[in-house]
Amino acid sequence: MEQQEHPVPAPASASRVPWQCGWWGPTDPDQHPAVQAIREHFPEAFVEATTFRDEMTIRIQREALRNVVAFLRENPALRYNHLTDITAVDMLYLREAPRFDVVVQLYSIPRRQRLRIKCGVEDGETVPSLVPIFAGANWLEREVFDMFGIVFEGHPDLRRILLPEDWDEGHPLRKDYPLRGYRDYVQPGYESPVPRIHGPLRRL
Amino acid sequence: MLDFSQPTPVVISEERQLSETRRELVLNMGPQHPSTHGVLRVRLTLEGEVVIACDPVIGYLHRGVEKLGETHRYAQVVPWTDRTDYVAAPLNNLGYVLAVEKLCGLEVPERAQYWRMIMAELSRIASHLVWLGTHALDIGALSVSLYTFRDRELILDIFEKFCGARLTTNMMEIGGFSREIPPDLPDMVRDFIRYFPSAIRQYEDLLTENPIWLARTKGIGVIEPEVAINYGLTGACLRGSGVNYDVRKANPYLLYDRVEFDVPLGTHGDVYDRYLVRVEEMRQAIRIIEQCLEQVPTDGPLMAHDSPYVIPPHKNVMRTAEDMQRHFIWVIKGFSPPKGEVYHAIEHSKGEQGYYLVSDGSPIPYRMRIRSPDFVNLQSLPYMAQGAMLADVVALIGTIDIVLGSVDR
Repeated sequence: MEQQEHPVPAPASASRVPWQCGWWGPTDPDQHPAVQAIREHFPEAFVEATTFRDEMTIRIQREALRNVVAFLRENPALRYNHLTDITAVDMLYLREAPRFDVVVQLYSIPRRQRLRIKCGVEDGETVPSLVPIFAGANWLEREVFDMFGIVFEGHPDLRRILLPEDWDEGHPLRKDYPLRGYRDYVQPGYESPVPRIHGPLRRL
Repeated sequence: MLDFSQPTPVVISEERQLSETRRELVLNMGPQHPSTHGVLRVRLTLEGEVVIACDPVIGYLHRGVEKLGETHRYAQVVPWTDRTDYVAAPLNNLGYVLAVEKLCGLEVPERAQYWRMIMAELSRIASHLVWLGTHALDIGALSVSLYTFRDRELILDIFEKFCGARLTTNMMEIGGFSREIPPDLPDMVRDFIRYFPSAIRQYEDLLTENPIWLARTKGIGVIEPEVAINYGLTGACLRGSGVNYDVRKANPYLLYDRVEFDVPLGTHGDVYDRYLVRVEEMRQAIRIIEQCLEQVPTDGPLMAHDSPYVIPPHKNVMRTAEDMQRHFIWVIKGFSPPKGEVYHAIEHSKGEQGYYLVSDGSPIPYRMRIRSPDFVNLQSLPYMAQGAMLADVVALIGTIDIVLGSVDR
């Protein structure tokens, strides 16, 4: 088997602190090439760029998600060519609107850098699907649809993936979905020894 | 009530007449099928013996670990991570605790980091052994599984010595290890790595040049490098296609930048190359463990102390009032990391496993997302199975290295 060298030498970790190794690019948003490029090419879609523990998060408008991700992949200076993850966060307890954040984690294999793209989605709104750009987005978007009920526009096969196809009791990772579900799946006549908690999740 | 007087009709397949000579058959493989490694159901559309469409149906083992993660305190989630990928539990623990430590801004003593690397690499070997045994068993080489499970026992013995559990280890804690390393553990690990290369030679004698194995694996399930990247594959599925991406090399966590190891790469991207990559990864894991055992300090702290995020050492709890109070608060109320969000990826035995944590400043995670490698890798099954023979689907499921507990979470 051939041994290939990595195209870029590993970033010199001056600090031993695990999260200060430059794997998310410069921590100053103004210095970050992806932030600069999005600001330049999508000025109306760019909302903000924040860092926490050196992780760069760029928030954009949901309509531009597909175009921005395609741009980040095709741009020869950025080359975010690996779609690591698509997920969502239900922001019900944290802010008024919009309800959800769709979170896209990107990785650049040649440049060894990560990037996080976020966009806010209100309940009932759609997000452009990333399947035309990354084939791997297929199941990840199906899972987000299954767990949160966010519809991805342009997805070729948007149906439930982890729950049964005929599941009719909502989307379990929403914060207003009770932890133990809405009803018992036990045989008639059986009484559960544990009382059922209805309503929103109990916060500690 | 069921009526047992009438025979129950059993529907195995649907048939469709396409033309005079062509017929389409829809066949359900699984969820209870010995070669699906759990409860995977694959809905195959066949024409004769050739697969023309394939739809993996998952979710039979869905337990809602992400939802449970949003209702437990940070330290209580660690045992749940064992149960996602249950053949490599220490690696799951590692990914989660590293994400929490990043969220809290916690630095772990060097000695604990070396022992984490040793346990992670042992766990990688154990996971690859289960994979190799079952994969070979699926294709028809029964004897390999007997050898691999024999050697996996030795690793499970080390885990048992270290933490008392063999399968669901719950080994790593936030901040390091809370128990001292047993004094004879380094020798156990040394004995294992002295013995294990000869065991790898045994597996390779049985398989690598075996004509039946070559006929069943060479040229089957080819994934081109561009396709592999496009599908978001990681781990041996990506490296088998020749793409050099290993999180340990590309973005080293723990102390992986202090040890030397090679990243094996395939050239053709078929089932055989992925087999070679994983076998070579076991050898490299042995190299890493050897260097860790040389470099690890023999004594020193195993836990980051004087931090509100870690549990106080047990022997201090009964002696000093401060530690007793801290222990009480830690157990009853948990700890509250700062508000923020982190994503931390590690190289799991199956690929890149990432934990995405969102904290709202309360003692329980606001959102815990597990990016499990085999969930993403399993997406490539329809691509590989298109045009393959029915008998090869078994090899294709095996080569992805799935554990349904991790796919369904």
